[in-house]
Amino acid sequence: MASSGPARAVDTQLSGFATLPWRKIILGILGATISFVVVVGAFKTLTLPQAERYSGDFWVDQVVNGLGQGAILALIALGYTLVYGILRMINFAHGEVFMAGSFISFFFADAYLESGFLNNQPYTALLILFVVSIAASTLVAVLLERIAYRPLRNAPRLVPLITAIGASLFLQNAFRGFFGAQPRGYPLPDILRGSIELFGIKVSKVQLLVFITAIVAMLVLQAFVNRSRTGRSMRAVAEDSEIASLMGIDVDRIVVITFVVGGILAGIAGVLFALTFEQVQFTMGFKPGIAAFTAAVLGGIGSIGGAALGGFVLGLLQAMGPPLLLTGFGIPSPFSLKDAFVFLILILVLVFRPGGLLGSGEAEKV
Amino acid sequence: MRAEVRIGAIAGVVTIFLAAVGLIGDFTNLNLIGEQVTFAGLMLVLPPLLAGYVATTPRIEAGQVIEATRARAAMVGAVTGASAGVVFAAFVVFVDVFGVERVRAIFLNISPVLMDFLLRGRPVLVAAAILVAISTISGTAGASYRVLPDAARRPLGTAVWVTLLFGFLQRIIPIALDQLDVERDWLYSKVTRGLTWPGAIIVAALAAGASVLKQHRGAAMRRAVSIRPSSDGGGPRLTPVNALLLLVGLAVVFVAPHVVGSVISEVLGTIMVFALLGIGLNIVVGYAGLLDLGYVFFFTLGAYSLALLTGATLNTFVGSSAPVIALDLNFYVAIPVVVAIAAFAGVLIGAPVLRLRGDYLALVTLGLGEMIVVLVTSPWLTPLVGGPQGMRDITNAAIGNFGFRDPKHFYYLAFAFVALALFVSWRLANSRIGRAWTALREDEQVADAMGVSTTSYKLLAFAMGGAIGSVGGALFAVKIGSLTPASFTVLVSIQVLGIVILGGIGSLPGVITGSLVLVGLPGLLREFEEYRLLAYGAALVAVMLLRPQGLVPNVRRSRELHEEDREQDKWAGDIAADEHVAPGISPLGEGAG
Amino acid sequence: MKRRSWLTVVATVAVLALVASACSNDDSGGGSGGGGGTDTTSDEFGTVEIAAGEPINIGTLLVISGADATLGLDSQHGAELAADYLDGTFDATPGQLLGHDIKWTHEDDLCSAEGGQAGATALAADPSIVAVIGTSCSSAALGVADTVTSEKGILLFSPSNTNPALTGEEAHQPFYARTAHNDRIQGAIVAEFALNEQGATTMATIHDESPYTQGLTAAAAVNFEAGGGTVSVQEQINSEDTDFKPLLRSIAEGNPDVLYAPVFVAACSLILKQAADIMPDVTLMASDGCLSSDTLKLAGDAVDGVFVSGPDVTVFQEGDFYSNEFIPAYKDQYGDPTSVFHAHAFDAANVLFDAIEQVAVENDDGSLSIGRTALRDAVFATSGYEGMTGIITCTELGDCATDVTIGIFEGPNWPVEGGAKPDDPVYSDTKSLDDVA
Repeated sequence: MASSGPARAVDTQLSGFATLPWRKIILGILGATISFVVVVGAFKTLTLPQAERYSGDFWVDQVVNGLGQGAILALIALGYTLVYGILRMINFAHGEVFMAGSFISFFFADAYLESGFLNNQPYTALLILFVVSIAASTLVAVLLERIAYRPLRNAPRLVPLITAIGASLFLQNAFRGFFGAQPRGYPLPDILRGSIELFGIKVSKVQLLVFITAIVAMLVLQAFVNRSRTGRSMRAVAEDSEIASLMGIDVDRIVVITFVVGGILAGIAGVLFALTFEQVQFTMGFKPGIAAFTAAVLGGIGSIGGAALGGFVLGLLQAMGPPLLLTGFGIPSPFSLKDAFVFLILILVLVFRPGGLLGSGEAEKV
Repeated sequence: MRAEVRIGAIAGVVTIFLAAVGLIGDFTNLNLIGEQVTFAGLMLVLPPLLAGYVATTPRIEAGQVIEATRARAAMVGAVTGASAGVVFAAFVVFVDVFGVERVRAIFLNISPVLMDFLLRGRPVLVAAAILVAISTISGTAGASYRVLPDAARRPLGTAVWVTLLFGFLQRIIPIALDQLDVERDWLYSKVTRGLTWPGAIIVAALAAGASVLKQHRGAAMRRAVSIRPSSDGGGPRLTPVNALLLLVGLAVVFVAPHVVGSVISEVLGTIMVFALLGIGLNIVVGYAGLLDLGYVFFFTLGAYSLALLTGATLNTFVGSSAPVIALDLNFYVAIPVVVAIAAFAGVLIGAPVLRLRGDYLALVTLGLGEMIVVLVTSPWLTPLVGGPQGMRDITNAAIGNFGFRDPKHFYYLAFAFVALALFVSWRLANSRIGRAWTALREDEQVADAMGVSTTSYKLLAFAMGGAIGSVGGALFAVKIGSLTPASFTVLVSIQVLGIVILGGIGSLPGVITGSLVLVGLPGLLREFEEYRLLAYGAALVAVMLLRPQGLVPNVRRSRELHEEDREQDKWAGDIAADEHVAPGISPLGEGAG
Repeated sequence: MKRRSWLTVVATVAVLALVASACSNDDSGGGSGGGGGTDTTSDEFGTVEIAAGEPINIGTLLVISGADATLGLDSQHGAELAADYLDGTFDATPGQLLGHDIKWTHEDDLCSAEGGQAGATALAADPSIVAVIGTSCSSAALGVADTVTSEKGILLFSPSNTNPALTGEEAHQPFYARTAHNDRIQGAIVAEFALNEQGATTMATIHDESPYTQGLTAAAAVNFEAGGGTVSVQEQINSEDTDFKPLLRSIAEGNPDVLYAPVFVAACSLILKQAADIMPDVTLMASDGCLSSDTLKLAGDAVDGVFVSGPDVTVFQEGDFYSNEFIPAYKDQYGDPTSVFHAHAFDAANVLFDAIEQVAVENDDGSLSIGRTALRDAVFATSGYEGMTGIITCTELGDCATDVTIGIFEGPNWPVEGGAKPDDPVYSDTKSLDDVA
């Protein structure tokens, strides 16, 4: 390579700068600061005077809230993890895949509410909503793959990422153009209203549905990937796509199937999200998308169990982290820093444990 | 024929998409030329036109370029156009039969206005037939354009796009003409607001004439002003011809704000702020190959630190208060401090994250960008930066009594900084540091093995890029005079990335072109505000798919993006040279697929 | 060789710079308009000359694209209806003012500082613009559009800026005025209602990242504490968030009697729904950002018993003009209103028209001369004008809605499309700026 000569010359020029272990120093300071914040913040929060302290019930309720949000994040995170596992690319537009399912199924839900079908036949209606949402999400995911990603399969890895950002922006604004910017109210069937007591803890029926559906979907996915022939092919491609193709596996087909599976999970998450918040809007995919990606990285990207675990952990951190760590320092409105908190976690995981909680660790490029 | 029908059908679906998203119905009254050429009409004609053009792409068989004959091309175009027309007409018939209002309950933009425009009171089947006919003609026209002799094609193409551009700029050019006291009623009608027909014909004729002239002189020019990629990838060389061009250019640049008036100056100011951001991000993304999705971090940092250093006040709900840290420095003293802060922040946050692989780094930087936005909004930092209410009374960077808030004055301030940033960036690219960046961008592992300290160079790029970005933020603060967190969103990051990518990764002329297109056009065409982000998204995807090297590519860099096509490029380049086809429409783009 | 040509370039640029700076005569102040230009009255910012047969050009700087367009377009329609009513009837044919048509030049404030600056610059560059109705959003005006127009002596008259800072002593710009109520008053009436009518002693507030909601909750909190109550927390959210359960659960820890969350429709509906579950005993309050038929659709039953504050439209209805003439005309020409600020825009336009009539000099050739400072002074001198939104008297600092009547409406009896009848306020009070903390 022609550049080696001059590059070495520059290196001697910069050697004073380069020889200092900058990275280690800064990492050390960072690590120490964070440990301090976590330990002292939690300690201070938990030892506030009785009148200002959070009650025990508070923490229990936050666990429930966190797990409910975490289940949805986990489902979306699986989509990132699957695509990443196979293609080593971040499908930045996956949040929009999720939004598409949610939004399209809204029109059916709304029509069913008008006709009374939603409450007369709630189980059938819900099933149809899931099918519609899955179909819409899958369609968007497959179109994305076909139009925006497949032609760039062998391009430098930043190229498809940029395309994905473009696709994300395009999809959001196309939905806005089609259906308007106003939020729409997603109807909730009467059978899902209210809450029940579970081991002495009040849990809303929707939260329970979210939780159960998410767990079932993840178990089915795990079984599919580990047991089925297609699942084994997927793992083979994830391991080494060139060798897999030499073994007679149709890599294009496997990639499409991966996007389909990701789309199905996003579709399920779309309905669950809409039922939880009873509201859909064209911007709804962006933030959950990023949070879910964080969850996937947190758990260890490429690993199905990791994505699930990451989702739940992140949900809990979002609900409990700000009050636990920030209240003690007297920071006003701790929840306003929730998003900063999520990203801080993403950065910390990548810096200190790049493989995530369960992953094998390959985020560093050395 | 199946390929043609398929391309046509895709064009038909695209037209339906344009209708559903509102780009036709919203603009039935936006007259471009006379009352006949409206934006809505253009949207109807453009997809089949392009489809006809695409369908006649020369095939390559056994190393031979096979161009369609004229008759064949016309036929292919007609079939493509008809196919597009049938798809779209079927949609129109469906909407009419099903009932506009019922479709509109879901698709807001399939409105009676749209249907009136498409049907014009005619029976639906007649209207559908007319639509098919229009589409067929457009497809044929697109295909015919492909097979026109070169001597006719270039002037025609130039004439059409220049005339349309004049039509689009109907809100701006008349103001500029007024400012110059030039009679303008012959060019723009007060009734339709668009170009008049005589005006359009004159503009088209001038544009075609200029194109012919350029073509004649082109060959000579090309010899004189050749850019030699192999010896000097960073920038054009300074030959006497270039120097002359530069002089004329500078003269134009210098008097521009007084010629064009404050409205366009205002847009130019915004363009230059974003050009600065683009130049900064270009160092990070283009030179060092690090994808930074959180560039808003430095923009925000620059804007707010300048405000704090120069004695801005916090808005509160009753009036104002001083921030907890308030200095009262002069702008020109504060700017170096801002740059130092940004560079330091770049090193501080870069050190832990820069060893991450590219796509991870992208997400981490995205996170950093979001974090700073959350922080400047948060109640926690409200006593420092004003929270949602923001800050005001930001310095106008006055020299003596000459303040730079006025758009015409701001232009000069921004221009000075852009020129400085361009110079620094250009020198860097061609220095040893720049070559080290190239090395680590091309293959980090090899660079590392060769003894390039990759982390240090990455940090340097991150800090340099951050420093320039912070100046962009500081200038933004001077320009607006008031900061609220709403100005600092992830969209800034994406917009700047779009500038760098559309212009051409690693290319300084590209950054300028990118900011002119992505900031200038939306600034001048505010009618399309609703569709700006849609167009952005589409442009990012399209550029990456069709022309990853950007509009004004950095020659060396575009080779990297086409690593596997290098041989083919060379071959395509030869063909292009033989036929005097501009690089822009050489088969190079298609090679990317 | 290389070095020499660089020198040439630099030298030429320097010469050019000198020439250009010598030639460029900055258009300082005097925006002497279109036609004659002979009239050099003593008005500091010049006069606008309108030739016979030429229209009077009035700018609007409202948010007409994006998610907030419902607010800006509604105001635009209100102003246009005022022009329609110049001939004494709502007949979709604009009337004339002193024998001249009204011509509107619409710019978009994009509900942001950048948008305010770009739009104000465009309007200020047009010397024929007499005055501007706008902005929609306070952030577009504060320190941005108000400064740009005031530097050129163009009146900026807002129908919907409610941020107190705009007319605060430190920030007020000489050519800025508004017919919208000052949020200090709305905040005071909300606090008064919570304290006296609901018997609340503890209040929690939620605002989002917009200056409007932050200012309103701050005003309510200040007045609530001045009245002897305690504000337990003032929380901030991001308007694009969806999961407020953890936040609401932490607010519930402080056992507030009232939760005041004057945020916008999407977040407001979510908060109302989620709070109904988490804190069923807490009185929920919101303000006009949430007072919309969309909220009724989105939040459903959760709006029952929710109190929202907003301009008391029953005041508009005195004399039946509003409900019998204005609203039917509005619906006829533009469909259902999407906010209440059309009334403030209608008043602003009428006050402006009156002021133009007062100060315009009708020349013999049928042309008009309108002095910019004179026009501003005439608007600021408005006193006791009977507007649709109440009595309009402008203060020195540009607050023209001096005695403001704010109503509190109890859901689902909200005065919006789809709300239950009767939609009268359960509480209403009139206050002036001197009455509030």
